[in-house]
Amino acid sequence: MNHGQQSGEAKQEDDAALTEFLASLMDYTPTIPDDLVEHYLAKSGFQCPDVRLIRLVAVATQKFVADVASDALHHCKARPAPVVKDKKQQKDKRLILTMEDLSKALCEYGVNVKHPEYFADSPSTGIDPATREE
Amino acid sequence: MSNGVGEGGRSQSREKRKLFQGNDFAYAIARMAVAQICESVEVNVYPQTREGVRFSSFQESALDKLTSVAVQYIQSIGKTAQFYANVAGRVEGNSLDIVQALEDLGAGVSETDRCLADSSVVKDVIRYTGEAEEMPFVYALPRFPVNKEKRPASSFYEVGVEPPEEHIPVWLPAFPGTKSCNPSEEANEGEVASKENGPSLQSIQHPFNGGGGSSEVLKSPNDVRKLTEEVEGNPFLTAPLRFVEKGVFSVFHPLELSINYVPDKHIGNNHSIPLLEASTPSDDTNKKNGLAKSEDGEKEDGARPQQTLLRFKIGTLKRPSCLAIKRSVQEQGWFHEGGGDKREKKSVIEENRQRINLETVDSDVK
Repeated sequence: MNHGQQSGEAKQEDDAALTEFLASLMDYTPTIPDDLVEHYLAKSGFQCPDVRLIRLVAVATQKFVADVASDALHHCKARPAPVVKDKKQQKDKRLILTMEDLSKALCEYGVNVKHPEYFADSPSTGIDPATREE
Repeated sequence: MSNGVGEGGRSQSREKRKLFQGNDFAYAIARMAVAQICESVEVNVYPQTREGVRFSSFQESALDKLTSVAVQYIQSIGKTAQFYANVAGRVEGNSLDIVQALEDLGAGVSETDRCLADSSVVKDVIRYTGEAEEMPFVYALPRFPVNKEKRPASSFYEVGVEPPEEHIPVWLPAFPGTKSCNPSEEANEGEVASKENGPSLQSIQHPFNGGGGSSEVLKSPNDVRKLTEEVEGNPFLTAPLRFVEKGVFSVFHPLELSINYVPDKHIGNNHSIPLLEASTPSDDTNKKNGLAKSEDGEKEDGARPQQTLLRFKIGTLKRPSCLAIKRSVQEQGWFHEGGGDKREKKSVIEENRQRINLETVDSDVK
């Protein structure tokens, strides 16, 4: 993969970036606590005594969740606003993280979270009334 | 953070939350952390006001879904990283293993001809830490999961108690409920006997104490009963045993059956005891019945019956009384000449008759 001295130097530089980052991780406290991440990693079989690696996983997860949330926020904002009849009401819409936006956002990441549109009480639910009469 | 409008009502979301369980504590913490992250997400930052649009509230089910996705993300990172470490022949994971796992999960563009450390994943993460505001978790967490140190059970030798059976070695852990010091055991025996299930066992014990010769036999059934009491002291065993016992003693059982019930309870196999136990009270009951009922014509002194057989012979008044007199004479050993005592007895009877006649005469006179 890497051939020659030049690539060796490049490799060292790349390594340096990672090691520097790992060193800087000790200053940065991720939102997800270390114990929680360590617990779930141990649950799946990954054991590591190094705290920096756990923080790396925590930061990566935080980044993932933030990306999903920002995508959902974009979807929420992109939805056409409801008709405001009262002109006094300002456009401060309370943004709520809904399942619709979340499912659209997660769909891009390969996670399929879809809610059924309705729950059928009987087999004839949702059928056109014309056909139902028959 | 305020909970948004739930779909389908609160109960449905609670049921959904119950689905994700195993470790509720970890899940609750993860939920709070994810909510904190979502709160900090900002879009369309206006350069003038430095304000952007944020989420003000969440739907509960949406938050639960996002939390479970994040948890599964962590777990899949761990699983993949461990897989790569194992493939490389290592037991502990590496930073490069984690980077490879992140690439596998699609976080960055995976490029085979570049070094892992230079992957876009790392760059994205570095960029994120540079841009996003640092937001530590709001609560201080205790160290979890808490490992309770398992104290090994103390052996018989450590407790200082002799094992109840010969086949049990001293170095094995003691039975649950074994008392530590020996003198207190005998003191507890009395309590044990009083606490024992039902009056019928106590009634058995009294004839035991009455019969002097059976004192040696006493010890083993008492110890056995004490052992059963100790076994019953175990909370996992008390409830079903007590229930069965109550069912038994609510019905009046003949003594044999209630005695034979004891060996069923205890662990040791002493088949000799039931026979002895059965024989001694049977003699007592025979004696009691013999004294109470004078009509009992037959009494077996020499032969010890295996089972109590009470034979009733109801006859005329005269004959049993003569037999009773004869028996008492033989027992007391008044072995005078045959004619002499008969004459004495006859005179006694005549005296009684005369007394009766006199009384009747007196009554007539009055």
